[in-house]
Amino acid sequence: MQLSGKVALITGGASGIGRATARLFAREGAAIVLADVNVDAGKRVADEIAQSGGRAFFEPADVTRAADCRQLVERAVREFGRIDILFNNAGIIRRATVLDLSEDDWDRVMAVNVKAIYLLSREVIPHMQKAGGGTIVNTASGWGLAGGAKAAVYCASKGAVVLLTKAMAIDHGPQNIRVNCICPGDTDTGMLREEARQLGDENSRFLAESAKRPLGRIGTPEEIARAALYLASDASSFVTGTALVVDGGGLAGSL
Amino acid sequence: MRGLKSKRVLITGGASGIGAATAARFLEEGSAVCILDRDAEARQKIQRALPGLAAALDADVSVLKQVQAAFADAIRLMGGIDVLVNNAGISIRHNFLDITPEEWDKVIAVNLTGVFYVAQTAARHMMERGSGVILQTASTNGVMGYPFYADYNATKAGVIELTKSMALELAPNVRVCAVAPGYVLTPMQRAEYTDAMLEEVNRKIPLRRHAQPEEIAALFAFLASDDAQNMTGHVYTCDGGETAGGLASR
Repeated sequence: MQLSGKVALITGGASGIGRATARLFAREGAAIVLADVNVDAGKRVADEIAQSGGRAFFEPADVTRAADCRQLVERAVREFGRIDILFNNAGIIRRATVLDLSEDDWDRVMAVNVKAIYLLSREVIPHMQKAGGGTIVNTASGWGLAGGAKAAVYCASKGAVVLLTKAMAIDHGPQNIRVNCICPGDTDTGMLREEARQLGDENSRFLAESAKRPLGRIGTPEEIARAALYLASDASSFVTGTALVVDGGGLAGSL
Repeated sequence: MRGLKSKRVLITGGASGIGAATAARFLEEGSAVCILDRDAEARQKIQRALPGLAAALDADVSVLKQVQAAFADAIRLMGGIDVLVNNAGISIRHNFLDITPEEWDKVIAVNLTGVFYVAQTAARHMMERGSGVILQTASTNGVMGYPFYADYNATKAGVIELTKSMALELAPNVRVCAVAPGYVLTPMQRAEYTDAMLEEVNRKIPLRRHAQPEEIAALFAFLASDDAQNMTGHVYTCDGGETAGGLASR
């Protein structure tokens, strides 16, 4: 077990990559704090982990709100005594050009995908500093490294996550806090289907299109979870400030 | 790491530094490991240190015939090669203005031509069998500029582009990734820097230290494992945050 005795706080833990990561980290011995706005699904994931012998609780939290972040971290530390791993994974997408995007949607995407990392990290880092270190993993995207069509605010937000990651790595490396991000390519989650819906595209056609990459398929949430495990564990003890691309070769070049 | 047990691994430049640490790590994971190195003394030393090695083969990667002969031996001894760690490399510290044609040719011969010979020989074997993983040692020097190693840096940038292009052509059967170590405390590094220079470098790294070779070995193990099944065509950095940004600019 790679995370024995560790405590991991996972946002967006009710579904997709967050849920797969919560399950994997729990199997690897970590105590899990799950945060999400989706209360029913979040509770189910925590219950399921507890039933299979793991330690987990769910805390409803909107991580775009400073008060929620403070409460979330307070409860995590109260219940489990520490936070070793922070997985800033909550994210949303809007598939639109700047012409079609409402101002509210711009603000919402930037708040969930970027501001939340700032709000939560500033609560968690002092605890990591006291404990002598920790590791923060942020979910960025292949679209934080390259542009994509009809995804203006999402690309802007994920590009911000990549550089926020690097800046935080520089600031907190000397305190033995590692900060990295994962850049998944298209992954088999509810969000991918939501993209098809927003674009008015047929699901199967959209998914088939997404699979057009060197490995010939989209990723699974479990594959992103294993990348998160690498970054959260001692296996990556000298890795910080990096963007770990997990995309079946999608961004390697032009096929 | 998942799925490394009984994998057959070949590591070039495997007798010292990152290569040797990687050999030790794969043995620990239950893999079969052959190393290839042209340094006879280092080969003897690692065979004593790692008695579990399937073989320590003699080859200069810049000579195609020697590469082919070593591969034939490795395949005969292990029954095949599932994972290649294409790691052999050299560097010479010199001013750009002083690089001689001989020095240039030597660095290119090992770090680029040698990497190509080894990669192509392995890829042909793996494509014939239908699967495999090729991991190549690049460097943060292949991503950013560094003084006094212009030739070395050019070869490492070459390894990165070779990696991406190979990944596209060999997918979906064979995954190809590059690893970019930052400053690592290897014999190569120790030989080139004084203690004061090491300390100076450490100050510029967010984690304030060099990597241990074992920490680069851990990245190779991860990328070779089933945990990284959706990872191909990219360069993965392990540098203590060095290339996240310029600490020198603070």
